[in-house]
Amino acid sequence: MTLSGEMLAFTLLSLAAIMGGILLITLDRVVHMVIALVFTFISIAGIYVMLSAEFVAAVQVLIYSGAITIIMLFGIMLTRHNDTNQQTAGIFRKLLLLLGIAGFGIAVYAGIYQLDIPPEETSLHIDNTRKIGTALYSRHIIPFELTSVLLLAALVGAIILAKKDSEKGEEEEG
Amino acid sequence: MVQELLASPPGLMNFAIFFLLAAILLMVILGFVTYAILAERKVMGFMQLRHGPNQVGGRWGLLQTVADVLKLLIKEDTIPKLADRPLFILAPVIAFAPAFLVLAVIPFTDKLQFADIGVGLLYYIAISGISTVGVVTGGWASNNKYALLGGMRAAAQMISYEIPLVMSLLGVILLSGSLNLNDIVSAQSHGWFIIKQPIAFIIFIIASIAELNRTPFDLPEAESELVAGFHVEYSGFRWAFFMLSEYVYLFAMAALTTVLFLGGWGALPFLGFIPGAVWFSLKFSLIVFILIWVRVTLPRLRADQLMEFGWKVLLPAALANIFLTAILKELF
Repeated sequence: MTLSGEMLAFTLLSLAAIMGGILLITLDRVVHMVIALVFTFISIAGIYVMLSAEFVAAVQVLIYSGAITIIMLFGIMLTRHNDTNQQTAGIFRKLLLLLGIAGFGIAVYAGIYQLDIPPEETSLHIDNTRKIGTALYSRHIIPFELTSVLLLAALVGAIILAKKDSEKGEEEEG
Repeated sequence: MVQELLASPPGLMNFAIFFLLAAILLMVILGFVTYAILAERKVMGFMQLRHGPNQVGGRWGLLQTVADVLKLLIKEDTIPKLADRPLFILAPVIAFAPAFLVLAVIPFTDKLQFADIGVGLLYYIAISGISTVGVVTGGWASNNKYALLGGMRAAAQMISYEIPLVMSLLGVILLSGSLNLNDIVSAQSHGWFIIKQPIAFIIFIIASIAELNRTPFDLPEAESELVAGFHVEYSGFRWAFFMLSEYVYLFAMAALTTVLFLGGWGALPFLGFIPGAVWFSLKFSLIVFILIWVRVTLPRLRADQLMEFGWKVLLPAALANIFLTAILKELF
């Protein structure tokens, strides 16, 4: 590992991403958690930019930190928003958890450093967006279309579920 | 000059140069915001048969905004006792930072641009979405029902109008075959996209006004119903930051419209001897004037009308425009 600008940027971004993740778990109020989550999403988008995947990075920011976060905030704000977490775990359980996490960390670290990825062709980052488009609409057209049908079905299902609820509510009110 | 810098290897010297350039851009933006507010008040005044500011700084009120900003800076900074303190402080920052970030990709002339990203257009739209998080956070952290309502309205409105905004741009992307703003400008050398994509232009202007939260779509800060919307509890320079981000977005959106539909820095035929920067600022000023004009002319919409208009009129029109563009592109 040598200290270069890339290394520095990667360290900062991954630190921010991990910090966001830790804050997400440890913070008490739900809205604070969502803001921490936004930091994680944006840091991950930064890592995508470093990997020259600019399209994925832009979509990550657009979908995750923009749309999904807003929808989560909406859901939280429309429900009770003064919920806080209660500490339940005892000291023994915490120690066990720490051991488990440390074990997992060591296993992943060892696994990653033994992994040998052969160098692939390096022209993939040029005209990245065009290549993604071509791949999506030629080689992977059937999975792509199936995904869109699945999402459409989910959307229709969600509308039907929501509609049933409101009808029931009206009957109860009336 | 900037193109060479962008291509050169990174180093501390480059970092210093870009930092300095960004600082200069920030100063230019602050100058623009100062006089855009004055221009807005003056134009509004003339359109409503009033004078507008005419006391501070000579006949034209040239120092009016400077005095206003000074007043804001020395005002007491109040944070409500029951507000969520960290988020209350963080919210104006989250709202403002993306407003300045989006300016990085906008090509002002063929030589003056800060970042030449392949997905420049997508970058603009993605980053500008983060501001909504700041607005919603500010509305929630204030612990005030008006602020919360304003924040919710802002979120709903920005999400609903982002979709027609992006959909209307797909026509432009189809014709230019690129998401890069430089390529989009050079694709307009034989006819601006406002001529080739008139429907897209109209949808884009309407949706961009909604994204900017300006009248007739200024429901998040509707004074008559919500006192002031999401920034009720804010005062002093925190409030100034929300306003600043709004006007920086005005700058960014007008610049983006110029780049996408009015040919950027490109000149009209036979007038190529006028430099590109002049062309850009002329077109840009025209767009800003139109945005002010719309604000003075139209009354505010109702919340349900706003949603219906976005989903039932703008979105189908934008989809139809995509089909039309695709068919025309295949035929010719």
